[in-house]
Parts: sequence; structure tokens; C-alpha cells
Amino acid sequence: MLFGPHETNLGRRRALSERHVAYYARRAAGGCGIVVTETASVHPSDWPYERAPLAADCGPGWAAVVAACRPHGALVLAGLGHTGGQGSSAYTQAALWAPSPVPDVATREVPAEMGQPEVDALVDGFRAAATTAVTAGVDGVEVDAGARSLLRQFASGLTNTRTDAYGTDRLLLLRRVLAAIRAELGAGRVLALRLSCDEEAPWAGITPSAAVAVAAELAPLVDLLVVVRGSGLATSSYRPDGHTPPGFNTGLTRAVRAAAGGTPVALQGSVVDVPDAQRALDDGVADAVEMTRAQIADADLVTKARSGLPVRPCTLCNQACQVRDVRNPLVSCVADPGSGHETEDPDPRNGLRGHGGHSGLGWGVVVAGGGPAGLEAARVLAAAGVEVSLVERSDRLGGALHLVAALPGRARFTDLAAWLAGECARLGVRVRFGADGARDADVVATGGRPRPLAGACVVSAADVLAGAELSPGPVVVHDPAGGPVGVGVAELLAASGRPVTVVTPDEVVGVRLAGDLAPANTRLLRAGVRREPGRVLRSVDGGGAVLADRWTGAEVRVPCAVLVDAGPGLPGDVPPGALPAGDVVAPRTVLEAVLEGRRAAHAVLAGRRRGQAGDGRA
Amino acid sequence: MDRYDRLFAPLRLGPVLLPNRVVFAAHLTNYAEDGLPTARHAAYYAARAAGGAGLVVVEESSIDPGDRPYEKLIRGFDPAVVPGYRAITDAVHAAGAVVLAQVNHNGGQSDGTHTRTPVDAPSPVPDPLFREVPRELDAAGIARLVAGYADVAARCVAGGFDGVEVQGSQSSLVRQFLSRATNRRTDGYGGRPEHRARFLVEVLTAVREALGPGRALGVRLAGDEGVDGGTTLDEAVATARLLARGGLVDYVSTTVGVATATLERVIPPMTTPPGYARYVSAAIRAAVDVPVIGVGRFLSPAQAERSLADGDCDLVGVVRGQIADPRFAVKARTGRAADIRTCLGCNQECVGRVGLNRPLGCVTNPRAGRETLLPAPSRRRRVLVVGGGPAGMRTAATAAQRGHEVTLLEASAQTGGSIRLAAAAPGRDGLRPLVDDLAAECARAGVTVRTGVHATAATVRAHRPDVVVLATGARPVRPAWAGTADRVVDVRDVLAGRADPRGAVLVVDDLGSAAAPSVAELLAGRGCAVELVTAAMVVGQDLGLTLDRPAWRRRAAALGIRESPDRLVQGISGRVVRLLHHPTGAEETREADWVVVALPAAPDDALSGELRDAGLAVHRVGDCLAPRRASAATLDGDRLGLAL
Repeated sequence: MLFGPHETNLGRRRALSERHVAYYARRAAGGCGIVVTETASVHPSDWPYERAPLAADCGPGWAAVVAACRPHGALVLAGLGHTGGQGSSAYTQAALWAPSPVPDVATREVPAEMGQPEVDALVDGFRAAATTAVTAGVDGVEVDAGARSLLRQFASGLTNTRTDAYGTDRLLLLRRVLAAIRAELGAGRVLALRLSCDEEAPWAGITPSAAVAVAAELAPLVDLLVVVRGSGLATSSYRPDGHTPPGFNTGLTRAVRAAAGGTPVALQGSVVDVPDAQRALDDGVADAVEMTRAQIADADLVTKARSGLPVRPCTLCNQACQVRDVRNPLVSCVADPGSGHETEDPDPRNGLRGHGGHSGLGWGVVVAGGGPAGLEAARVLAAAGVEVSLVERSDRLGGALHLVAALPGRARFTDLAAWLAGECARLGVRVRFGADGARDADVVATGGRPRPLAGACVVSAADVLAGAELSPGPVVVHDPAGGPVGVGVAELLAASGRPVTVVTPDEVVGVRLAGDLAPANTRLLRAGVRREPGRVLRSVDGGGAVLADRWTGAEVRVPCAVLVDAGPGLPGDVPPGALPAGDVVAPRTVLEAVLEGRRAAHAVLAGRRRGQAGDGRA
Repeated sequence: MDRYDRLFAPLRLGPVLLPNRVVFAAHLTNYAEDGLPTARHAAYYAARAAGGAGLVVVEESSIDPGDRPYEKLIRGFDPAVVPGYRAITDAVHAAGAVVLAQVNHNGGQSDGTHTRTPVDAPSPVPDPLFREVPRELDAAGIARLVAGYADVAARCVAGGFDGVEVQGSQSSLVRQFLSRATNRRTDGYGGRPEHRARFLVEVLTAVREALGPGRALGVRLAGDEGVDGGTTLDEAVATARLLARGGLVDYVSTTVGVATATLERVIPPMTTPPGYARYVSAAIRAAVDVPVIGVGRFLSPAQAERSLADGDCDLVGVVRGQIADPRFAVKARTGRAADIRTCLGCNQECVGRVGLNRPLGCVTNPRAGRETLLPAPSRRRRVLVVGGGPAGMRTAATAAQRGHEVTLLEASAQTGGSIRLAAAAPGRDGLRPLVDDLAAECARAGVTVRTGVHATAATVRAHRPDVVVLATGARPVRPAWAGTADRVVDVRDVLAGRADPRGAVLVVDDLGSAAAPSVAELLAGRGCAVELVTAAMVVGQDLGLTLDRPAWRRRAAALGIRESPDRLVQGISGRVVRLLHHPTGAEETREADWVVVALPAAPDDALSGELRDAGLAVHRVGDCLAPRRASAATLDGDRLGLAL
């Protein structure tokens, strides 16, 4: 079981930090077999994001990660790479390095073509990084030739148009790098290669059939081959969200393994459920399985799977774990917001037990609201041995998780609801349905209020997701948020056969979707959804909506029988003295709900019953 | 010699005496590390103070741990800031200027990304940029924050500041209380104007108490928010009057716009005329008896002097002007105003970088944020620079300033390179000072500039240089799909007058920069029917970063320019251009008389190999290394100039 390399923003400048150490150690303690650390740049010419590790600065960090993981039996591989023309010049403020001056489609920046001195410096960089890693005591290194890598750029006809030896033999550089590293590693250390085996650009890129030949050539040089997909033209294919079915690299990996001549091969690509991983091994797809996001969602995945306990599911939402974002958010998880915060948040394995349950606290705890915040609060309290009763207004647990799960590609939020409810049941939480217990509750997680809607033909996106009956005719989705809700509702309604228009003041529809932005717009266009970006909704009346251009004020009228408001709701009402959590404080995402539910539980355990749970400072 | 008497007249701000009226007003720099001020801050502010600014207002310090809209915000609430404050204030004082700290809470103009807590605001109205529903502050929360302002003010005194400025402008909780757009409260902090001002009054009262005697207290107000239901100029004037009458402040600073909704009004692009914000300071000044700071693209001391003479304001906030030239004031005072390096208003490296959580820089002043002394060269060398664009001229000027013997060869009749071309497009003439000022700097530094010289390997060798710097730029690349079609031309051909498209013109934007949009505008202005096509999701993506988009959209709409994103050009035969709508795979055609392309250029570095083979030390800078933006050219040039 691998925990693959990924951006975390946990670093301190370009070194691995104590946050990294705690983050990896937590997964090692949870039973992970191989931890690959965040890919470190092997040369200062590569600085793809502000906190990107630099191998030269990583020696002490690697040593600390090894020291923290080894007692748990995990191997630590140092991730090494260079992002070349897919990097950023923002931090070096110097020209990017690439095999050829082919601009990356995302940044549009023309890189400088590497000459022989730069190629040699790159090989030396890999060699020096391997030396640093060996000195730090790692069990091996993993070389990145994946979706964002200079080595893949050399291997691909999309980005390598050279006429020298590195162009006529596009694997020459990779072989030189692997040989240089192998010489440094010596015997007894692992050399792994992360290789993009499908660039999803068949006109010039690496195709699955070409990749089989590449793998056959390179496999003898390495000890582990991790099969991935993606390229500069398909960056979101590497770790896609729930719109892509899990295990999408299965066929590709099987084919590569058949050509790898016995070199172990790892399956990567949205493998998030343990049974799927086991099946891949049983079926001969791979010799190892990478479950990165699944172990961000549940650090104890392996030990839980071994002992038959239910694993907290990864929702494949990519909301908090994909942190290639200029704001430098720390890696985290909507299902487990403690991920990435191991050094500051209470460790769920310590300190919470021994509060003595009912007798210890002297009273039972009442939680109002069975959405993600209330369920998490109840779960944490019950796990600490407290007697908990949970009061839920409706007739089922999960709250807003079910609305989120109704969006396309987000069905796994149902799994999260089921896991939370299942854990509460397993831990003995008593649930009372059809009652509003907020007035007497210790923790209030009763959700937000709907925003008043302007007009009879207006419905909220939440109502649509809850299955409200809509009048027939064309729909206008007004999306001031730019997140998954507006786009998702538009997709659902278009799929039901209605003419749909999405209106947003933003320059593009779904501006906050990050990795799903381009795929989402493609889906909308293919579904025939009309997009009206840069527009402000002026009015709605019988049959039409008036939209004004945000900049010129020019108005257009679009057919509209139903207007769907995809904006956020309002905070709910909190009775005095209760600990509020989640949307009742202010409607936000599942992550905040789970986090605040957990904090409210901790506050109860600490004997605090007043104040605002959302406020970590209280 | 112009005298600028008003600009250099001393002025009292309450108990503090300023040597002149030039203010380096508060602005974000992203120079903080771990929430603390840095040596980089101190050097940056000290350079402007040494350059003659009378008043420096240091960027915002937050008063509350729950307020962190961006990573590199100074944590004013943290006692650990004091040594950093002290380093800044000592450095600015040593240079003879007065220094204030801006204290602020961004309220709902934030989210929980960095705090993992809800954001606080007057009412649960999500901000248009951050989009997070805030928590409505209760009375206890308000009292806690008022105490926070006072606490940070006291810390500013301990850090050696001459006073503080409370931000009530572009991104602040104070403004959110003042504005009807964000304050929906029905208690004593909402409703009537004096109720909406109550939070600010409480803050100022508490801060004054914390400052004690001898320190100045100012406020910065948003004069005209430019958002639906937002604060109007009349309301801002009424607020200023209320504060001044109550003796609550020693000065009022001004802004226009809201940082998270109408930032293009706060920090306007080069197409916005200087003086665009004078109506705000003028109206406030007419209503109050304390000094008023005016802002809004003061590009020259003459313009600043005129604003003072016209009664627009008592002090001038020159931010970008002093980023571009830290010695703006001293040059004006000593009769060298013509030597001032002028801000381009390009917003690429100041606004553009800061908005991306990166440290502030400047295209025309690559040393901004890197205020270091020029190291002297180890030995004087003969430096030959080939190419007189921004990269070549910057290399030459920096090298010559360090004492090298520098000659610059330029093939055309005039220096300026691709910048002079880009500046020929509508709305882009603001770029011209970049190369005009560089040419002047080269002249002052003693660079021998020879124009009309097409350098060959032989010319270079004949010069017997110790070092050769190639800054020969880039050349347009003909798109593969164009085949032999004769009416497919590059934007550079149009700007240089080598092509004069008429009729129906398809402009293809593969760059996302201002190149394609500005040429589209040029051609539409000449009467062409213009359609802009791009494979990207929007035309001219970079216009958003530099805040050019709103005005460009209005101009484009007036000119009838059509925008067609999501489309790749597949081929051309005769007048028919074949497009692919790539999300759906639909094929489309257009009839066009001309196709104008903005594509990545190719480095023009033919001399490089030949000179290296001849055994010469050759360096490449700017587009001839890799075609990039102007900022890369000046930075490459300055870095090499410093290294030679």
C-alpha cells in the first residue's frame, strides 16, 4: 500500500517541516506500507509552487520522516522530480527549463530550450538529490516522470521536438537519470519510477500502447513502476474527482505489468476502496496499490481494513486535498479536517478516551442535528465514552450530505453520511427522529436557514437537489458562488431534458471548481447548457429573466420559467448557551461542518458548554 | 527649474510634523514571513523615505487572529511583531520621514482558509470575491475587536511608529459597518448613518486612548465604493465630517472602490486617466478641517503640485509612482523631475503578483523589493550588449552604473524593441516610459548606444568585448495551419505597419496577454469587423490580473468586437477559416479577409552559437532566452548587469 507523493503546502520555505513528519508518520502508524514524500525539486531552476520542497533543503526533513515512519514498519521513498515547462517562473523569476520551447497550455509561458550544460546539471541534480536522500537514511527514491514532469516532457513528442540525441532517443535522459541515481543508491535501496503511460493526446503524446514499450525498456532499470496518466494537456486526469469512476488505470496498469518483466508495478488512479485494491492484487493487475486520497481521508485505512472496521470514505471531491493553489492552503480533507493538521489538532487516538463516559462527566450529552456537524460531534463524543443522544428533525441522518450527494460526481458523499451514521450506531449513540431538540441541546448543528427568495418562480438549488417539483419550461440557474452546486444543478436539469441557462457575474462558469473547471464547462456545453458569464441577474417575470452585462449594463432577456438560486443560505438560530457547529454558524462546506462538530465535541469533553464552537480561539 | 513649493511645504498631522506632502500610502506587499515584518520591509520603506517621501504608511497589520484573508498578512495582534516594527521605524526615521502603521480587520472580505474559523462581519452577507457567508458579530464580538484595535495601536507605539491609520476603506470591517451593502443590522450598529459609524467611532476612541499624546491618528475612507447599494461619496463625506468634528482623527486618507469587488477603481490600469479620484478627496477636504490625503495615479510631481494647488487634497498618496522610482520626491525637490522613472500603470508585478500571494515587484523597477546596494565590479570590463529592447537596455544601464564600459548595439533606428511596438496599440501607450526612461538611464550611466547597427559575429569580435550580452528579442512564428495563405499575419506586423488588414478580421489569441485584445481594438477602431478567437475559456486571461478587463470589455463592446472562446483554428483556404469548438468537437467556419495571430514567439538567438564557437562569453537575456513578459526582460537584465 502506497501513500503517493502530493503537494501539501506543509513545508517551511523549501524544506520538509515537522508538519510533514507528523502527516507521514500518522499514515505509517495507520499501517501504510510505503510513504513517498512530496516531490522535491532536484535543481533550483525548478520552483513550481511556493512551498515546493527543494531536494538540497530536504536532508534533515527526510531523516526525520524516516525516523518517524520506520518504527511503524513503513518504507520511506524520497520523491524527486523537476516540473520543467510545467513549472512556474514566479518564484525563480527566471526562464523555465524544457526540452523544447513549447509553452505549457495552462501558463502559456514559453520555456528556454535546455542546452547540454542544463541537461548535465539536471542529471547531476538527480544524482545529488539521491545522495542527500541516502545520507538521510531513506529506503529509496521515486523519480517523477508523471503528469507534471520534465522527464515526461523529454519522453513525449508533444513537448520534445529536439533534433539532438535527446530528441532522436526521447528516453535517453530518463535512462541517464535512472543510471545516475542507481549508482548513488547502491544495493539495498529502492528505485521507483512514476511514469505517465497515457498523456491523453494521441496525436503526439505517449499513448497506452507506446507506454507498454517504454515500460518494457525502463522496467529493468527500476524496482517499482507506478503507472499514472496525464500530461500538460490533461493535468486533471492524474487525480480526478468523482466525475471519473475509481480505478480508471486498471486496464492500463495490467498491460504495463505484462510488459514489465517481473518488475513490481503499482496501480494508481482514484483507488479509494479497500475491496477494489484487494481485487486489483488478486486479479494480477498490479503488485502494489497507491491509495493516497483514501489515506488522507482515513490515516488508519490499513489497520482498520485489517481488523474489519469501517474506513472513513474518501469522497473524491478534491476540495481540500488538491492544494496547487497560490494561496498556499494546507492539505486537508472534508471527511477528516484533521488531516494536514496533525501537529495542532488533538490526536483522535489519544486524550479523548478516559473521560469516563456518563459517570465521568456526570451527564449525558444531547446533540441537535444529524448532518455532518452533528454526526461528527456525536461520533467523537461517543468514541470518548460519553453517552450521547442525537435529535434529528427529519427521518434520516446525513442532512446536507444527501443534497451534496445528489450532485453529479458527488455520490460518495452518501458513503460519508453512511459511515458517520454507522459509526454513531456502532458507538451506541441514541438517535431520535422527527424532533427538534435544539432548545435543550449541548451541541447545536441544525443547519442554516434558506435565504428568502425573490419571486414565485424562484427555487433554491437545495430544493432542487432535495427533489422539489418544478414548473415545466426553461430553467435559469443563477450562480453567484461558482462552486459545484450551480454547475451540478444545471447538469442535472439539462439531463432531465430541460433547456438550461447558467448565469454568473464571473468571467467563466464554475470559476471556483479548480481541477474540474474545464471538464465541467465541457460537460455543460455537451449537454447543451447555455452559459451567460459576466452577467448580473436583473429581474425575473413570467417567462423570462433579464440579464445585464456586468461591465456595459447591456441587457438581454432569456427564457425562464424557473429560476434556480445557487447562492448560499443564511446562518441558523443558535439558542443561548449551546455550542453551535457547521451551517448554523454560517453556511459553508462539509469540511467546516465536520471540523466544527469535532471541535464542539472536544469543547464538551473539556467541560466547556458555552461559547462558539466554530471559534478555535474561544 | 520647477519648484513644487506646495509639495515640499511641511505640514502638521495633529502632533506630528511632516517634512513634505508626499505620502507612500499603505498597500499590500506580501513581504511578511510567518506573519512578521521582515528586513525586506524595512529596506523597502526606508528606500522611499531616503528618496524623499515625507510620510510612509506601512501596510496593514491585522488586529485579530480570526482575520487572515491572505497568507502574508502582518499579525499585529502578535507581540512578536515589535522587533520587526522597530526595524522599519528606525530605518524610516533615520531617513527623515514620519512613519505610521495601518491597523485593520478585513471582516467579511476574507475566508477561513488560513484560520479554520468562521469570518466575522456586520451581517451574513458573503463577499463577492471570498464568497464565504460570515458570522454576524454580536456585542461581545464587537467589544473584543475594538479592544483588539487598541491593543495593536499600543504595540505600534512600542514598535516606534509615530501613530496609526485605521483602515475604513477598500478591505475592512470598518467599511462593511459603514456601507449599507454589507451592514443589514437593526441594532445600534446598523441603520442610520451615525449608527453605522458607531463601530468606527468606538475604534478610533479606543485607539486614541491607546496611542496617548504625541502620536497621530488617521483614518482611510472609501469615497465611492462603486457597488450596488454601497457607500456613495455623499455618505463618505458625512462620515468624514462626523469624525473630524468629533476631533477623532488628525487626518483623513481616501480611496475609491472596494478591493474585492471593484479593485480596478482602487488600483486602476494604465487606461484610467490620472486624477480620476480627485473628486473624492476634494469633496471630503471641503467638509473637514483636518488634512486630507488624495490618491489616484500621481505620475509626476507636476501633477501632484497641481492637485495641491487646486485644493483637491493636502497631501498626495503616491504609491506606484514611488514603487517605480523610490527617489520620486527627492528628484522633484532637486530639479531632476525629468529623471524620475515613471510608473507604467501596467499592474503586472505590483497588483498582479500581490494578488497571487507573491511578493510585490515592478516591471520598470526590477529592484523594487530588492533594495540592495550596487556591488562594485571586481574589474572593469568591456561589455557589449546586442539589442536595445528592455532587456538589453536594463543590462547595459545596470552594468554601466557599476562602472563597466558598456556599448549597446541596436539594429533598428531607435531603441525600445518590442515595447515600442506594443505601446502603439490603443490603451497601451502607458508602456512607453519603460523604454524612454531606460534610454535616458543608459545615457546618464554613460552607455555608448549605437542604433542602426546590425550586429554580426564579425562586428561583435571587432569590438573586442570581455563579455557579450545578447538581447536580440524574438521573432513571430507563423502558425502551422496557415500554410501558404498570404493574409495571415502576426500582431507585430500590424503594429509595425507591415500589414494593414481591412474588412472582416479574425484575431487569434494564443497568448492571453494584452497583445491580441489591443490589436483587435486597433483594427476595430479602423473600421474592421473584428472577432477574437481563443482556445482558452476567455479572451485575454491576463487582463483580469492587471485589472484591465472591465474597461477593455466596455471598449470592446462599444467597438462591436465579438469574442469566441473555446475555439482552435484548424486551417484556412481562401477567405474561409475552419475552427474547432474543442469542448464539443463541433466544426465551424468563418469568412475573413485577414487573420491576425498572437502566438508565442521564437527566440531570435542566431548569434549565440556562432559567438560561443568563437570562444566568447555570451549571455542571453529577455525574449532571446525565452519569449516572456516585459518584467522578465528587465529582471533578467538587472540580474545579469549586477552579476557581471
